[in-house]
Amino acid sequence: MRARIVFVVVGILLGLLATQAGEAAQRIASSASLAGQPLPLSAVAAQKSQQNPGLRAGTAGALLQANATDQKGSHAVMDTTQLVCLSQELAAYQSMDSIANNLANVSTPGFKREAPQFQEYVDQMQPSEGEKGTQAVSFVQQTGLIRDLGAGPIEITNAPFDVAIKGQGYFVVQTANGPRYTRDGHFTLDATGRIVTDAGDPVQGQGGDISIATTDGDIHIAADGTVSGLNGQIGQLNIVDFADDRALVRQGSTLFSTTQTPQAATDAEVQQGMIEGANVQPVVEISNMIEVMRSYQAMMNLSESQANSELQTLDKLSTIQS
Amino acid sequence: MRALSIAATGMAAQQTNVEVIANNLANMNTTGYKSQIAEFEDLLYQNVEQPGAQSSDANTLLPSGIQLGAGVRTAAVARVTTQGALQSTTNPYDLAIQGGGYFRVTLPDGTFAFTRSGNFALSPTGEIVTQDGNPVAPGISVPSNATSVQVNAQGQVLAQIPGQTALQTLGQLELDTFPNPAGLTATGKNLFIQNAASGAPQAGVPGSTGYGSIQQGYLESSNVDPVAAITSLITAQRAYEMNSKVITAASDMLQQTANMGQG
Repeated sequence: MRARIVFVVVGILLGLLATQAGEAAQRIASSASLAGQPLPLSAVAAQKSQQNPGLRAGTAGALLQANATDQKGSHAVMDTTQLVCLSQELAAYQSMDSIANNLANVSTPGFKREAPQFQEYVDQMQPSEGEKGTQAVSFVQQTGLIRDLGAGPIEITNAPFDVAIKGQGYFVVQTANGPRYTRDGHFTLDATGRIVTDAGDPVQGQGGDISIATTDGDIHIAADGTVSGLNGQIGQLNIVDFADDRALVRQGSTLFSTTQTPQAATDAEVQQGMIEGANVQPVVEISNMIEVMRSYQAMMNLSESQANSELQTLDKLSTIQS
Repeated sequence: MRALSIAATGMAAQQTNVEVIANNLANMNTTGYKSQIAEFEDLLYQNVEQPGAQSSDANTLLPSGIQLGAGVRTAAVARVTTQGALQSTTNPYDLAIQGGGYFRVTLPDGTFAFTRSGNFALSPTGEIVTQDGNPVAPGISVPSNATSVQVNAQGQVLAQIPGQTALQTLGQLELDTFPNPAGLTATGKNLFIQNAASGAPQAGVPGSTGYGSIQQGYLESSNVDPVAAITSLITAQRAYEMNSKVITAASDMLQQTANMGQG
């Protein structure tokens, strides 16, 4: 991702050199506004939209445009380099947030890590006067958070109602808001002996709730989810799977909801006394974090040097004029 | 910046984790202690783009959407009610339960508490009491002239009285089970009290199904596995450290933003 951004930005810089002459007039207009004759805001906006028609890179783009048109002061017109830098800086913030969420949930059973996915938003800049062809400017746009569905490490807890699913599948939990699905197999009993989650919602068997009597003694849960005690079979855990796992909606508490119809899982094996940990790999997260920080830093440096060179240009031009 | 508060929830969760592990290790030699595990769950998500929302009017759907997480919270501190190892003491009033039951203890205010810790003794009046002097249900007194006291696996308390050939039955110990023993409220001093989560106690005699049998001269040691506890401690400490790294990184980024345009 970073490599692409740097590449794009280098391209823009080269492009800027080519259009330097064309932009000079605009710079002078900016310097006029600096000299105490502010252009009407609408004029600035008009100028801006002429330079960058149709700049809207998702939410980030809307924000960028707002910045570009509303900003008063030395950068009355923010140039494209700054806007591209800003889109990358926002992307870095989003990456950092998802890394933080992954690391915060490193001990959450059944948690699946997420990574933001970014896309190039290409904007065709209109050529400057006297130039031919168009220039493409690429912004960064977040298009999704992709859930890593890889299995988490299996931790042995020896608790009789801790169950891990090996393979594809989800437990079904009946909540007040309808059925929810989870990979977090940390269950317990409630006051009436039903198998429930930490929140007290009953875990569903093939025929509804599974209730354990005190006379059932030690409970054994078989690989196919069959729950049995001293008095024989009590029930069977309902393990389901979906056509599209990634479309499941997170509800917090490691629960998922969906409008898809659950199917009986075919590739699932239940393991008693174990729990599936989060599939967050700290090494990966920390190295991603360093990468995000570095690319953020690089963008800040670039945007700063661009601002400096703009100021220098203004200084020189105003000196020549006077 | 969201990353700061997310990492803070992570640090708070790992701190709870360390506290629970510390309590387990501190009670490694507490009779009848059951180890606890901190359980975590992810917080609610902010739906920026709902997965499955339409991305065009041609019925194309967003495959994954954008759901921003808010961190982690402690869902429960669960008690692992597995059997602890039995440790031989040869003391006749040390009783261990092998199975799921609990001894019932009458507290001074007349209410009941429940315990797995069977290190009992005799009161000045000869009654079998806990180390705090609370009588063990249903209240059995040992005559002062008894030469030996035996408790069998079914919880019958028998004594050898001088001048008698047969053992004299002094009483029958009772145990209680719960629909959800892990839900009992711990009150300290190895005692538990019932609540809405545990369900009502069901009294029965040792040896019947689900109640477990009594082993005289043994104590049930805690079920804390020190190796597992230390491993979890290391994991928790590392996770805490990583979350603090996120805070440092996020704070660095914010600092760079704040310093923008000053160099």
